[in-house]
Amino acid sequence: MFRSKAPVVAGAMLAASLVLAACGADADDGGGGDVLRLWHYEGANSAMGVAWAEAIKQFEASHPGVTVRFEEKGFEQIRQNAGMILNSDEAPDVMEYNKGNASAGLLSKQGLLTDLTTEATARGWADRIGPALQTTSRYDAAGIMGSGTWYGVPNYGEYVMVYYNKDLFARHHVAVPTTFDQFTAAMDTFVKAGVTPLSVGGAEYPAQHVFYELALSRADRAFVERFQLYRGKVDFTGPELSHAANTFADWVAKGYIAKNSAGIKAEDMGTGFTQGRFPMVITGSWWYGRFADEITNFRWGTFLFPGNTLHPGSGGNLWVVPAKAKNKKLAYDFIDITMKPEIQNLLGNSGGVPVAADISQITDPKNRELIDNFGRLTAADGLAFYPDWPVPGYYDVLVAGVQHLINGSRTPQQVLGDLAKPYQDHLSSLGK
Amino acid sequence: MARRRGGRPTRAVVLGALTVAVLLMLAPFALVALNAVKSPADYAARGPMALPQRLHLAGIVDFWFRVDFGEKLVNSFVVSASVAVLAVLVSILNAYALGVGRVRGRTLLLIFFLLANLLPQEALVYPLYHLAKQVGLYDSRLALIIIFTAIQSAFGTYLLSSVYAVFPRELLEAAALDGAGRWRVLWRVVVPVTRPTVSVLFTFFFIWTWNEFFLPLVFLISNDKQTVPVALGVLQGDRLMDATTTSASALLGVAPAVVFFLIFQRTLTRGALAGALK
Repeated sequence: MFRSKAPVVAGAMLAASLVLAACGADADDGGGGDVLRLWHYEGANSAMGVAWAEAIKQFEASHPGVTVRFEEKGFEQIRQNAGMILNSDEAPDVMEYNKGNASAGLLSKQGLLTDLTTEATARGWADRIGPALQTTSRYDAAGIMGSGTWYGVPNYGEYVMVYYNKDLFARHHVAVPTTFDQFTAAMDTFVKAGVTPLSVGGAEYPAQHVFYELALSRADRAFVERFQLYRGKVDFTGPELSHAANTFADWVAKGYIAKNSAGIKAEDMGTGFTQGRFPMVITGSWWYGRFADEITNFRWGTFLFPGNTLHPGSGGNLWVVPAKAKNKKLAYDFIDITMKPEIQNLLGNSGGVPVAADISQITDPKNRELIDNFGRLTAADGLAFYPDWPVPGYYDVLVAGVQHLINGSRTPQQVLGDLAKPYQDHLSSLGK
Repeated sequence: MARRRGGRPTRAVVLGALTVAVLLMLAPFALVALNAVKSPADYAARGPMALPQRLHLAGIVDFWFRVDFGEKLVNSFVVSASVAVLAVLVSILNAYALGVGRVRGRTLLLIFFLLANLLPQEALVYPLYHLAKQVGLYDSRLALIIIFTAIQSAFGTYLLSSVYAVFPRELLEAAALDGAGRWRVLWRVVVPVTRPTVSVLFTFFFIWTWNEFFLPLVFLISNDKQTVPVALGVLQGDRLMDATTTSASALLGVAPAVVFFLIFQRTLTRGALAGALK
């Protein structure tokens, strides 16, 4: 009954060889100044991906002997792990990172990011990036955005607008609205014709952006600074937010927003528009490139939410230089190249919203409209950021609140109460 | 004519219910396959449920090259196979001591192993991260192999111990009379007799490790070391998802596990029946 030992020995040898294979030599990433390790998480054919690929080419041309070791990362991987990676020797030299208090702000407070203030002034980034866009680049000692040290440089901006189906507008004889009243009148026309005017995703971020647009229609810059930067008290029963909650509920009642939107995800909101089932969708410029690529069966255009001077939007994700980066000088050089007009124009021509492009160099008329609107918005200091920014975890609170408004399961007053509590709690935890 | 047991209507109902269950199980896969071969414009115009207008394989091909999928397959295979082999070895040795050897305090030890197995991985991440960094194994596949060998063998020890605890004593005594030492008894008697169970453990360890996402995501920083599930994560954007490419990648990601399951399917059935034959 004693059988051969062979299988056991073979198994052990297999295991040993596999383990040996697994710990094969690592490439060394020393600080010799001949390698730039670069990470970002934009798709290769997105506007940023295209522009940054060209920036890498230009960098290699102007830095002979230096290789760029680029890795495309997943958004989720960076979101989950940035703190751990940047605290280790695996930190890259330059990487894309999310803006905001909970992301770049937190890392800056933990001392994981390099102070870029000197470079931003010396290389002129501070002049080319307008004050509203700078908000997300600078963080104070507590990691709160809006003032203090430069920790990141955005290459692009983003903002929420109305995308509309030109064919449906023409069929129902609706003109592009320029005032809030014209906007509601246009939606009434669609409702009368049995068409739901707005494609809304209530299960994710889109519905809260509509809610915030409505609040901003009654708000001024001081409100945004109170709400986003904690510069004074926010009254949740005040004119801005109560208008938003009441109007949103009213829009559901009038049929501008479908009752089933509460369960719709952003992706389905987008395909609802691309399939031509809805004449309008209110969402961000991050959809622009995809709409441009994928909408083939109707003509479409964009306009800013009528009547508003303030809109949800901000500078895009940031280039940051980890504190443990080994080749910081190369990282600054790379960021500098991404701010050059050629790269910025390429970003604009690829369907992105550059922060410092020369508008006359943007060839596609639709792209020019997109960038023009953004220019008007920043010139009027109209970027109001996003409603979920002020409080960690506020995103889910807002999703739930707006879903209640869609379902009619809570009154606007109750929803405002739901929104107020976590906000006030967070403020008291900050000692404000 | 001989009447079959369980009349025709019962058989039809059972068959019908099973068919519905199978269709329900397969529906998500069908949807994934459907969208994997659809062009993005087609998806945008006609939605996820529509049949593709024509076969569009570019999504799958692009994804393969974009993440260098072949490399990810090798990584996943190295990690999963190493873990499966090592965890089975450790489980056998532990279970031999606990189940056959009747070490004192074995119940407590088993409870300890079970608890270790129940700990959520999120709770382990920070300690493991700091340990790995201290010994210079952060961003290495070896770290993952060690961690998963420990995690999987905790379960393996628990399961095998209970199998070995009821191992026929007569066989052990006969082997001892033949002059076999403990080591020989383990490899020549205990392991061959319980081979079906061990094979099932091996298969499960392989598939479980293959499907792990969270710890590989944390520990494999460099792209050239990443495993298949982590590579699939590259596609999830901040606010956008790319439905067709995601489907293509899901199809590619699930295929190896299915192939592996089909290969070891016979082992699994045999293992499940092993107890019943005694």
